Amino acid sequence: MFLKYLYAIFAAFKMNFLSLVVDGFFIFATLLMPLIYALIAFGILRDKGAHYGIFVAVGSGLAGLWTTLLFGSGNAITGERWSGTLELIAATPTPMWMIVFGKSLGVILQSLLSMVASYLLGWLVFGYPLGIAQPLEFFLVLFIGLLSFIAFGLMLAPLFLLNPQVQQFQNALEYPVYILCGFLFPIALLPFWTTPLSYILSPYWTARLLQAAAGGTLAWEQLVNESIYILALGGVYILIASVLFRIVLKKARVDATLGLQ
Amino acid sequence: MFCSDEFIRPPRGTIEAMSFIARYYAPSIFMRCGCDAKRRMANFLMNNAIQVTNLRRVYKSYVGVFRRKLKEVEAVKGISFEVAAGELFGILGPNGAGKTTTVKMLTTLLLPTSGTATILGHDVVRDVSALRPRIGFIFGGERGLYWRLSGMDNLKYFSSLYQIDPAVQAKRIPYLLELVGLKERANEKVEGYSRGMKQRLHIARTLLNDPEVMFLDEPSIGLDPVAARDIRRVVRDLRDEKKTILLTTHYMFEADELCKRIAVINKGEIVALDTPANLKRVVQDLSVVELEVKMFTPDALERLKGLPFVDAVTVQEREQNSLVIVQSPRGAEAVSELLAQLNGATVQKVTVREPTLEDAYVRLVEGMDETKKEGAGSK
Repeated sequence: MFLKYLYAIFAAFKMNFLSLVVDGFFIFATLLMPLIYALIAFGILRDKGAHYGIFVAVGSGLAGLWTTLLFGSGNAITGERWSGTLELIAATPTPMWMIVFGKSLGVILQSLLSMVASYLLGWLVFGYPLGIAQPLEFFLVLFIGLLSFIAFGLMLAPLFLLNPQVQQFQNALEYPVYILCGFLFPIALLPFWTTPLSYILSPYWTARLLQAAAGGTLAWEQLVNESIYILALGGVYILIASVLFRIVLKKARVDATLGLQ
Repeated sequence: MFCSDEFIRPPRGTIEAMSFIARYYAPSIFMRCGCDAKRRMANFLMNNAIQVTNLRRVYKSYVGVFRRKLKEVEAVKGISFEVAAGELFGILGPNGAGKTTTVKMLTTLLLPTSGTATILGHDVVRDVSALRPRIGFIFGGERGLYWRLSGMDNLKYFSSLYQIDPAVQAKRIPYLLELVGLKERANEKVEGYSRGMKQRLHIARTLLNDPEVMFLDEPSIGLDPVAARDIRRVVRDLRDEKKTILLTTHYMFEADELCKRIAVINKGEIVALDTPANLKRVVQDLSVVELEVKMFTPDALERLKGLPFVDAVTVQEREQNSLVIVQSPRGAEAVSELLAQLNGATVQKVTVREPTLEDAYVRLVEGMDETKKEGAGSK
């Protein structure tokens, strides 16, 4: 049974990734957009020193990941609704949250490709040594962080099931997470009452660990403790998401919103 | 409601009498017990794949901006019917009659407002996870597919969501593509498919989990005659394989050709339920006069409807003229009086023919509307 669910998640990932790849916009979003952003960012940072590149790359990379995921999760539902497939997949034995999880993996892969493209650009065009001081720890955190990241996005996806109009609020969710997770500047600059909010967001811990690993200051003990915490938060997010999906799908069956456009 | 008694004839002989008792009395005892297992047993004894009892659905929405008012539309008004295992059962009705709402409730996509429905003994509200792998459904039209992917990739994806073993998928998908005649085009993107091909792909998709009960909601809607014929061929093949099928349509000939029994539904109510042959008997005392008329006016329509010997009048607008279809017990004798009501119009052709299922349908649906108008008038 477990294998069948894994297989279904992989199928959702593959389907979404294939749909993205065959879209002309994919090339633009994955290669040309990072080219433009990298030109601007690395141009500005030319005088700041070579070591600065990786910090910008991590912060902006995570911010980009969050945006992709937020819109990816929302659009996963909206896209299905528009193509008339939402009712069909809702009626399959695979839980809806697993399908959205798989689709989010597809979106994340696209975003990662985009990050890699911009790093390569910084290295090849601008000559920044985008060295990562602790590469093993960096990629381990990246993997754990991404799973937790997806679970976080998954909590929001049920809202988009409720009604097509809910998607209008998608934009409003983008910047609070950038700020609370310290993607762009340290959370110490924020009012003290926001700190607990940051602590319950797994992307905050992921960003902390990634920046420490990139800079070579990540202790093994911190890596273990905070990675466990990130995974635990991810587990809680998935639990909440599965309950929310169940409630919202039942409400959609009452309100007849699955087939709406 | 019209109903045939051919399914409830008295038993002959001891064995048949015992079978009769088992089929008609034991189920009712089990039904009264109320619990799921016993209800499933009752359906099993009755050999019913689908059992619908007083099913009702009300849509609620709010209108207005500041003073929001609740608006309720009763789409399905307490319908009841049953479909035997292996039967192809039709639901026939005009647009907005409640066909799709009924199918959506039976396929677990909508919750009924009241009433019950069981498919293969599973309640459509409570036993969703047990029921879903055992049913399949399609809704008419081009939506419901991933256009950027190939037909093959669409089927692979849905197979995985139905958690079908990859080894089974490898055999079943090529078989289904062959069944619906898409084998040669399987690796092309769906966006390049014709409407008929998309509809055939829908049928292949709905067969992926080898469903015991299939719901086909207007599968041939909007298709050209050749494509619609292909779809009917596939449906006929499925019927011959003893799949239980609930087909909704508003094409009479389709229902006539395919269905063992038909429920005629109008404005959320079943107005007749019988075999196509018995439904046609509703109009056996009538003949149909078809008049091809140029410059046909609404006044002329009212005059025709006002004639005492006219049962129903329908008008089909065409490019060059209007086809006026009049049902009357007087048949050919009525022609001269009918023509007299069309002063000013040019009559190009007059045909008198035997009534079809379509005429029965018109009489049932229009008859219901007229009865309602009279009822409202008398109040």
